[in-house]
Amino acid sequence: MMSGRKLIASAAPLLVCLGLLGIWQIGALVLNTDSFPTALDALRAVPSILGDKESLVNILASLRRMAIGFGVGLAVSIPLGLMMGRSRAVASFFNPLLMITYPVPKAALMPIIMLWLGVGDIAKTLVIFLGVSLPVVFHSFQGAKAVEEKMLWSGAAMGLSALQRMIRIVLPSALPEILTGCRTGLVLALITMITSEMIARQSGAGNILFNALDMGQYDTVFAMIIIVGAMGIGLDAAFEQLRKRLVRWSEPRFDLPLSFS
Amino acid sequence: MNPRALTSDILLGMIPIALLVAIWQGLISFGYAPVALLPPPGQVFMRLARQLANAEYERDIAATLFRLFAGFAIAVILGVSIGLAAAASPAVNAVVRPIVRVLAPLPKVALYPALLLLLGFGHESKITLVVADALFQILFKVVLPAAMPSVLTGCRIGLVISCIVVFLAEMITSTDGLGHVLVTAARTFQAVDMFVPLITISLLGLILNGLLQWLRSYLLRGFPEV
Repeated sequence: MMSGRKLIASAAPLLVCLGLLGIWQIGALVLNTDSFPTALDALRAVPSILGDKESLVNILASLRRMAIGFGVGLAVSIPLGLMMGRSRAVASFFNPLLMITYPVPKAALMPIIMLWLGVGDIAKTLVIFLGVSLPVVFHSFQGAKAVEEKMLWSGAAMGLSALQRMIRIVLPSALPEILTGCRTGLVLALITMITSEMIARQSGAGNILFNALDMGQYDTVFAMIIIVGAMGIGLDAAFEQLRKRLVRWSEPRFDLPLSFS
Repeated sequence: MNPRALTSDILLGMIPIALLVAIWQGLISFGYAPVALLPPPGQVFMRLARQLANAEYERDIAATLFRLFAGFAIAVILGVSIGLAAAASPAVNAVVRPIVRVLAPLPKVALYPALLLLLGFGHESKITLVVADALFQILFKVVLPAAMPSVLTGCRIGLVISCIVVFLAEMITSTDGLGHVLVTAARTFQAVDMFVPLITISLLGLILNGLLQWLRSYLLRGFPEV
């Protein structure tokens, strides 16, 4: 009984995907317009995009930018967030700055950054970095704030230096929360990647998507939506596996990523 | 917290913002950045003040706000009712949960071309995108705990997302709204005008967030801040 239930639970996301494609297929057949191809047509266009060497290189270049932006973002935001969580002075120093940058779409900075850095990799990676940083800082901050004081006191009593306390007590206990932030950041990196390439039309997955839209190649548009969607779901699932391994000891929480842009 | 500590916190928080503006001005004063690429802050804020009094710019703000509120309101109603239904009935929960799981990590901006093709270039496609993005933020926070504090936390995140998404949607295709102002300025290389809509959306976000915060503390007297 239990295993049957588990099986259903693990198959549910797959069923949802199939269900959505089914609804799409029926909807397209009912509407029957050129600009809305059926799910089958779009799926058929997927291999031709992935098989094309140029688009594949473009998509991989996008992913590389995303990985760099995400990596640098984590390297900066996690320590910053942890310090903000442990020190009130640091928190009140950075909080207002983060508050005013929060509602600004990071990808909207693209036109300005392009003026300074050009349309190349640096500008796009910088925008991805900015997009990733905020949620990671926020969650690390929350995580570090919730660390039990007693543990820190005992650590200090046993002669741990401030840095050691940070690495050996604060970091592990804030890890579940940090990883929630990273997961949000990952989805965000993907979104920012697409939008930055949409604005700086030069290369990348976003470029393929919006160029196809401009040229009326609707099969390609919808096939790219499938590819990008699959990337999002795939990366998220992979990260979830990693997270489960890293924080096996903590309560699994139903905390899904937020999708800021 | 005593008022004195609060004041010193606020003062401390002003330092990085002041520093940022100072560096910005310094880059220009010492000739590191040409004015065409980085207009001086004074000029940007002057333009912002003038634009805020400009009827056309106000129409753009109104268009953005209309889409934002329409999308946000639909998302709140849908999100809260689905969330409560899922909390009340395990059957609904079993259906909603995997759907949320699959759709949440999907980059919604990538759906925008499809929405454009289906719903056209007007309000509908943009509002739908806002709903799609804000809805899931609200749902995550509602599905499990189904309590007032978390509903409001979800709404707050949803609101910030709405600001971001409206702006992006207007940047992609639009004839009005703040995002469109930015794109127009970018196409004509008017650096000053590129900063103005960005600062405006930041201010709008701050004001709306403040309002929601106030509403929250009014509705939840006695609850600790989450």
